[in-house]
Amino acid sequence: MTTMTFKRIFTQYKILALLVAIALIWAFFSWKTDGGFTSARNLSNLMRQMSVTGILACGMVFVIIAGEIDLSIGSLLGLLGGMAAVLDVTHGLPLPLSVIIVLGAGLLCGFLNGYLTAYAGIPSFIVGLGGMLAYRGVVLGLTGGATVAPVSPGMEQLGQAYLPPLWGSILGIGLFVLTCVLVWRQRASQARHKLPVIPMWRSALRVVVAGAVLAGLISTFNSYEGIPLPVLILLVLLGVFSYIARQTVFGRRIYAVGSNMEATRLSGIDVRKVKLWIFGLMGLMCALAGLINTARLAAGSPSAGVSAELDVIAACFIGGTSMRGGAGTVHGALVGALVMASLDNGMSMLDVDAYWQMIVKGLILTLAVWLDVATRGNTR
Amino acid sequence: MAGYLLEMKGIAKRFNGVPALDGIDLAIRPGECIGLCGENGAGKSTLMKVLSAVYPHGTWEGEIVLDGKPLRARSVRETEDAGIIIIHQELMLVPELSVAENIFLGNEITLPGGRMDYPAMNQKAAEILRGLKLPDVNVVLPVKHYGGGHQQLIEIGKALNKNARLLILDEPSASLTASEIAVLLDIIRDLKSRGVACVYISHKLEEVAAICDTVVVIRDGKHIATTPMEAMSVERIINQMCGREMSQMYPSLPHPVGEVVMEARHITCYDPEQPGRKKVDDVSFQVRRGEILGIAGIVGAGRTELVTAIFGAYPGKHEGEVWLEGRKVDTSEPLKAIRAGFALVPEDRKHHGIVRDLSVGENITLSVLPRFAHASRIDEHEEAGAVSEQISRLALKTATPALAITSLSGGNQQKAVLAKMLLTGPKVLILDEPTRGVDVGAKFEIYKLMLELAAQGIAIIMVSSELAEVLGVSDRVLVMKEGRLNGDFVNQNLNQETVLAAALGQAGAAPSIPHHA
Repeated sequence: MTTMTFKRIFTQYKILALLVAIALIWAFFSWKTDGGFTSARNLSNLMRQMSVTGILACGMVFVIIAGEIDLSIGSLLGLLGGMAAVLDVTHGLPLPLSVIIVLGAGLLCGFLNGYLTAYAGIPSFIVGLGGMLAYRGVVLGLTGGATVAPVSPGMEQLGQAYLPPLWGSILGIGLFVLTCVLVWRQRASQARHKLPVIPMWRSALRVVVAGAVLAGLISTFNSYEGIPLPVLILLVLLGVFSYIARQTVFGRRIYAVGSNMEATRLSGIDVRKVKLWIFGLMGLMCALAGLINTARLAAGSPSAGVSAELDVIAACFIGGTSMRGGAGTVHGALVGALVMASLDNGMSMLDVDAYWQMIVKGLILTLAVWLDVATRGNTR
Repeated sequence: MAGYLLEMKGIAKRFNGVPALDGIDLAIRPGECIGLCGENGAGKSTLMKVLSAVYPHGTWEGEIVLDGKPLRARSVRETEDAGIIIIHQELMLVPELSVAENIFLGNEITLPGGRMDYPAMNQKAAEILRGLKLPDVNVVLPVKHYGGGHQQLIEIGKALNKNARLLILDEPSASLTASEIAVLLDIIRDLKSRGVACVYISHKLEEVAAICDTVVVIRDGKHIATTPMEAMSVERIINQMCGREMSQMYPSLPHPVGEVVMEARHITCYDPEQPGRKKVDDVSFQVRRGEILGIAGIVGAGRTELVTAIFGAYPGKHEGEVWLEGRKVDTSEPLKAIRAGFALVPEDRKHHGIVRDLSVGENITLSVLPRFAHASRIDEHEEAGAVSEQISRLALKTATPALAITSLSGGNQQKAVLAKMLLTGPKVLILDEPTRGVDVGAKFEIYKLMLELAAQGIAIIMVSSELAEVLGVSDRVLVMKEGRLNGDFVNQNLNQETVLAAALGQAGAAPSIPHHA
């Protein structure tokens, strides 16, 4: 009976378990590096590294919830990042124009993947596999296999700029107020619909935890330059994608399609269109990630994003996205991405051999999903 | 009393602290057939899952005694070894494997080195099926070649192959036709004479009355009565199940039938697997405003294919025209059909009706979600309002709309699917086996709702395999046979024999007489 309750608590608060896991990982690395890992500078750097995986995970979590998969995103990131570099370096286009062209191209590539999956009926696994090869081929052709550098200072800013501390503090306070308002509105709406209202202590706990996390994050960033621009973009995406998932018609349909496509179709929903847009969004995220990656490296590398799809898919699954579709959260996927980025960063600091890094990451992914499966299986 | 094969004593089972079974006793002698009756959600399936160790020993309280010795099975494998075989409501066959491979799944006859001994298995499988009066089944063909009725009997063959001493049949006749049910009942009689005990769970109480020696009724997880069948009647079983007097199975409500609202012209459906074969062959019919049109026929007659083709959900190639209110409408896909004014409650609730990961409320609003959205943001307030309106209109029993749809009983899941379709405001409502796997109380409520909808002017097309139901609620009855219309009857003094005759063979029943209320 106690194991049953434990399992139930674990399933219910899976995200907390993940946060505990991250705390353990950080504590371990911090101990091994004499606090170097948890220095403000490194944490800021870690979050910036994570932003590319995180941006991709925002798109991927929808793809997986809808019961599909996209293996082409690493190559697509490389292609779009390379395209950004070529537009910027070779053609000297103004930055806004480059960004718009790359985002547009990303959306189109995503739509292509979506069309092939949803309308032509090719399994998304195959479409992704094909795209993985073909898109990478295009990058190699486009760049001639050479690194395209150096990018203009403007583009560099996209990956390396910081939000000044003052603005960061204002943003933090703003977000805290927003959290309070949302919690209060949720309680009010539950009371109005005579639904059981969440106990006051839990609402209070939520506000306190949110406040503590925000304060911790912002003060860490502020003690080193400020919030990195890519992290800011990722936070905005977290908000936007969570909003889409929970509050919009499109979001509800993503879950419905992934849970039971046939029943959803019979309910009069154009499931193909839903999938087309999910892949479109995925392509858009590839473009954003490609831009930031190129900006961060200040160069377009033809090998950018190789095997990024594996990190991203792993992040989604570690974050509790259901493998058969129909369930998952954006914030879960981002916490999963943070786990992967922490491992990368920490092991690099410790000069762990690359092969060990791969082994450890592989084991962590398997372990996380095993825990998920083991606790889920017995809840019926 | 000695001589029991199996006794269950004081079985109690809780889910998250909520009691599902509360001190149930059950005793079975060899060769006895027990009818286990109760409304959906009464705990019948839970009890049988306890018995067959789907819920292993230790997850429930009480005692099971087999042959005088306590049975503490931890897995289904152990109960099967003890001779307790359960045939679940949902078939557990692997469609791609052959009939013989399915019958021997997990019990394969092997040659040295682990190779399958196909000749031996095929021969034994054919023998078993001959015993089940299925001599025409080719045991080397994949199971998917055979219809639901045959598959059910193949499943029984699989159980017999495991030397069953106690066979549990959970709603075995849900997808069977009348003639197949007769075969099934014969098989059970034969098993009884060989000393095999049975637990027969069915909502079709006539079958229980025909085959069972003892009737055990449970309600809300509690044991209500154990009575010899001689002392029982279908009415008394219903009374015990409901705990109230149910004076009639079918409600009545006057509903005027108006002008023709929908017309299907020359609908033809081709088999998606064998494009040359027609599942529905040139069927045309009309339905009137406020009319309940029943479509009867045996399984495989093409009824589901016909209605799914009208709704744009037929998976294969199909032809024909659909006219609504005097205009030809495009119903080439469900989205267009719903926009035109059609709604379909599909036959296969699990795969085509409910969306498992969504809550009850989210399932109900799935079709009309944009209605509650402003700038694509869902207004939870409006959505919750519409949901609670539907829940009270259909008397859907759920603690809150936020509950998982899978936690509801079959009848309430069906009401949720119905609610979803009603929200689209249909002019023509198609119900495919609307009361399959639904308990007596919920059935009555669904019939009542159908009559109310008809009285509001909605035309209802109901496909059903239960003749009593077709005759109980329809204004007019179409009968299909082998993909063609083989009868069109006004439901006045119509009896089961006439409909059955049209479904089974005798063509040329009375021509349709347009009637007005």
